[in-house]
Amino acid sequence: MSIEEVSELASPAPVYGGAEPLLEVSDLRVRFDAKGRRVNAVNGLSYHVHAGRMLAIIGESGSGKSVSSRALMGLLPPTARISGSARFLGTDLLSLSEREMRRHRGADLAMVFQDPTRSLNPTMRIGTQITEAVRAHGDVDKRAAFDRAMELLQLVRLPAPERRFYEYPHQLSGGMRQRVMIAIALAADPKLLIADEATTALDVTTQAQVMELLLELQERLGTAIIMISHDLGLAASYAHDVIVMYAGRAVEYAPASTLFSHVRMPYTRALLGAIPRLERTPHSLLPVTPGQPPDLTALPPGCPFAPRCSRAQDDCHAEPPPFAEHEPGHWWACWHPCEVGGPAEEGGR
Amino acid sequence: MTTTEPVTDDAREAAPGAVARLVHSPSVRLIARRLVAAVPIVLGVSILTFIVLSLIPGDAAQLLLGPEATPEQIAAMHRQMGLDQPPVQRYLGWLGGALTGDLGNSLVSGQPVTGELGSRLAVTGELVGLAFVLSLGLAIPVALLAAYKPNRLFDRVSMLVSITGLAVANYVIALLLVLVFAVQFAFFPAIGFVPIGQGIGENLRSMLLPAVSIAFPLFCFYTRFLRGDLVDQLRGEDYIVTARAKGIGPGQVLLRHAFRNSSFGLLTVVGLNLGTLIGATVIIEQIFALPGIGQLLLQAINTRDFVVVQACVVVFAVVAVLANLVTDLLYAVLDPRIRYGNR
Amino acid sequence: MAIVEASASPALLEEAGQGRFRGWLRHLELIFPGALLVLIIGGCFVWPLVAAVPDPVGGDVLESNLPAFSEGHLLGTDPNGNDVWSRILYGGRASLVVGVAVNVLGLIVGGTLGAVSAHVGGLLDAVIMRVLDVLIAFPSLVLTLAVAQSLGPSQVNTIFALAFFSVPAFARVSRAATLRLREQPFMTAARLSGTSGRRMLFRHIAPNITPQLVTFSMLSMGIIIVIEGALSFLGLGIPPPAPSWGNMISQGQQALSATPMLVVWPCVVLFLTVLAFNLLGETLRARWSGR
Repeated sequence: MSIEEVSELASPAPVYGGAEPLLEVSDLRVRFDAKGRRVNAVNGLSYHVHAGRMLAIIGESGSGKSVSSRALMGLLPPTARISGSARFLGTDLLSLSEREMRRHRGADLAMVFQDPTRSLNPTMRIGTQITEAVRAHGDVDKRAAFDRAMELLQLVRLPAPERRFYEYPHQLSGGMRQRVMIAIALAADPKLLIADEATTALDVTTQAQVMELLLELQERLGTAIIMISHDLGLAASYAHDVIVMYAGRAVEYAPASTLFSHVRMPYTRALLGAIPRLERTPHSLLPVTPGQPPDLTALPPGCPFAPRCSRAQDDCHAEPPPFAEHEPGHWWACWHPCEVGGPAEEGGR
Repeated sequence: MTTTEPVTDDAREAAPGAVARLVHSPSVRLIARRLVAAVPIVLGVSILTFIVLSLIPGDAAQLLLGPEATPEQIAAMHRQMGLDQPPVQRYLGWLGGALTGDLGNSLVSGQPVTGELGSRLAVTGELVGLAFVLSLGLAIPVALLAAYKPNRLFDRVSMLVSITGLAVANYVIALLLVLVFAVQFAFFPAIGFVPIGQGIGENLRSMLLPAVSIAFPLFCFYTRFLRGDLVDQLRGEDYIVTARAKGIGPGQVLLRHAFRNSSFGLLTVVGLNLGTLIGATVIIEQIFALPGIGQLLLQAINTRDFVVVQACVVVFAVVAVLANLVTDLLYAVLDPRIRYGNR
Repeated sequence: MAIVEASASPALLEEAGQGRFRGWLRHLELIFPGALLVLIIGGCFVWPLVAAVPDPVGGDVLESNLPAFSEGHLLGTDPNGNDVWSRILYGGRASLVVGVAVNVLGLIVGGTLGAVSAHVGGLLDAVIMRVLDVLIAFPSLVLTLAVAQSLGPSQVNTIFALAFFSVPAFARVSRAATLRLREQPFMTAARLSGTSGRRMLFRHIAPNITPQLVTFSMLSMGIIIVIEGALSFLGLGIPPPAPSWGNMISQGQQALSATPMLVVWPCVVLFLTVLAFNLLGETLRARWSGR
């Protein structure tokens, strides 16, 4: 069975009950053609985000989580082949021209990136980088932009904003830089904030402070947040809903509380097992999922995780499991899901 | 957050007094360090020139007096020129004079070299300045346009022109320009120099072909350099993605973010060029008969007028060293990463 | 991990859409300058041996200034009645010999100097670098002019004069490359396992900096050939009547309006030669830097 057909099965969008979703991604595919090789980065990803919620997208590197979010923002290079749809308040973002997309960038969807050191222009003052974002949308004069920048710097709790406004990125600590990045992202009151590994480059204390800030801002401003991370523990602590991605597609999707108490997909379980815990026996080995992350240029015909999965049987290698709502609000793609309450280490082989 | 706050200039700002602040300012310290490093280089160049010149066979006295001169006449001439003294003493004497602005008198004309250099330097300076204005003035817009849509027609054509143009020697361009514009169409004077005093228009007309000869290879080089740097940034730098994510247009991303950062690199390259450009002026001034410092040097070498050669070489070296120094300093003043001392 | 994804995709994408045509073009980058060089070198060194090319010197003044395609003179003759085509070929020999010799000198002397300087470090490095700083601040053309003057114009002296330019340049490149190499873990490993200094230099440093030096020598070939032309043009390089592209341009300039082709021909071959070396250097640099 070809990859195209596989993902047909995975296309139905999970519906999370309640109001109209803010963003509705369905059957998103992104592909890069390089040197005659085809890299299938995202293979039929579907999800919803509601206003005021925080959705965590979890996966290893190469699982397509960053590429899929950049596709939404139109930030992939023009040679990326993107298909599917992403309805944002009734507009399909993926069908917009670059010029039309620019109106939404920053104003409706904003993004905070992983490495605040590299993501801020080193030769521009902090203040200029913020006012630029303020003035990108709407006719704002210099004075008003300055006031707004001050307001934003206070909002993200940057100490001494009047001084910081005139400083350069290298004069700030990593945590402060990420606060500036968040201020930039919030400049035009976006309805959706995508935090792409926004805390990965920070130390643990700062990480928590930035996450707390995001949560607080979400409560105050009602912004929906997509948090992209490889850190399931972080997702468990902060997100409302969690999507686990593997090989460019969703493999499990549930509210955070459900997911962590009733994990069904062996891959998710393997990820959970790899989190160090205090209650674990000291100096015991962390379980490691064997094998390599999937080769995106040549995905297997069956379940892409099957080669690494301890529960895999013949049918897993033959046909990919559909991504379906097996329990209310809980979606997964697996032929032989884990029993609820089984040992956490069970996932990997 | 207070725990993660880095040590900023707080401590320095707290230091009392403007003097203390000046001394501790990274830029001032940088200037001082560079100036100190520049002195031995200029000194070394002057010593090297002195050695090289004393190794050159043949001398001005012989050339001036002609082949029939008796050894006594030559010796008398040497005494008159001060060439009978031991080299070390001669060098120290020259150095003493040079430090007070007296570069000696020409062995051939007997005129003070310092005065002659002044007017010559003005001509060469105008030539080089014009070449920089032309090359940068054209290279910056071309590189920006090329980088705006990489690998499109304009980009490809401009890259083809610039890599091809880099292979054309400046004297080849000079001759071809003379051939086309001066000989065939007579738009411009083929050779000769009109001082600014006789009208700025005529002056520019006489300077344009030589300046273009120097500017064209530079234009090619700057275009390639700037376009490459811009495209690298647009493709690889995260802050470009941030800028795009703000929703600002591609033109603004290019100008405000990429070009801003590339301009620092461009500045360095321009500064380094200024040093090597002096060599180019020798041959271009020769072709167009411009009374610049390069032409003076060539004449002086041919007449073994070592005092003039020495002066020219030292001026070249000082210009090259100063150019590098000024570049470093401008860089330090303009680039905040260095201005505030990169921690 | 996001870094990997984010930075890998543009690189991948650059390749995307280039297809077969680009693949072919990539080789063209090597084939075109390579073929051009083979033509030029073959023409200058081999062609006069196998074909009947007139003498480049000792022409008959009665046959001066013949136009191109005259009988027996493909590109005509110069004011001295010498065959222009022949002078171009023999002049190219002179330019190429000078270029190669200066580069070999630069590569061996400068390359070693830079590598040793960086490898030994300390006072030696400081002294060598200061001397090189002086040589680099010293206007290269002035130095070569002075050397050419003091030694008298001849091909060998031109080589020595230009070596003053190439040695410091190669030393700089080699030093920078060696310094970068020192940061590599395998260098530390070699040092810690007690590898002798000489062995480090020959077995570890030399093979690793050679690609960069070879690339640089391609680019510097172009520069050297241009400067050699400039010296000959100023009458300080290869002295007439022996041909060189530089002195052909210089001679032709004296009658630029009457017989412009005497300037154009040597200019064209000079340009093509420099272009071939530049393109080859650029291609090698792009390939060796892994782009």
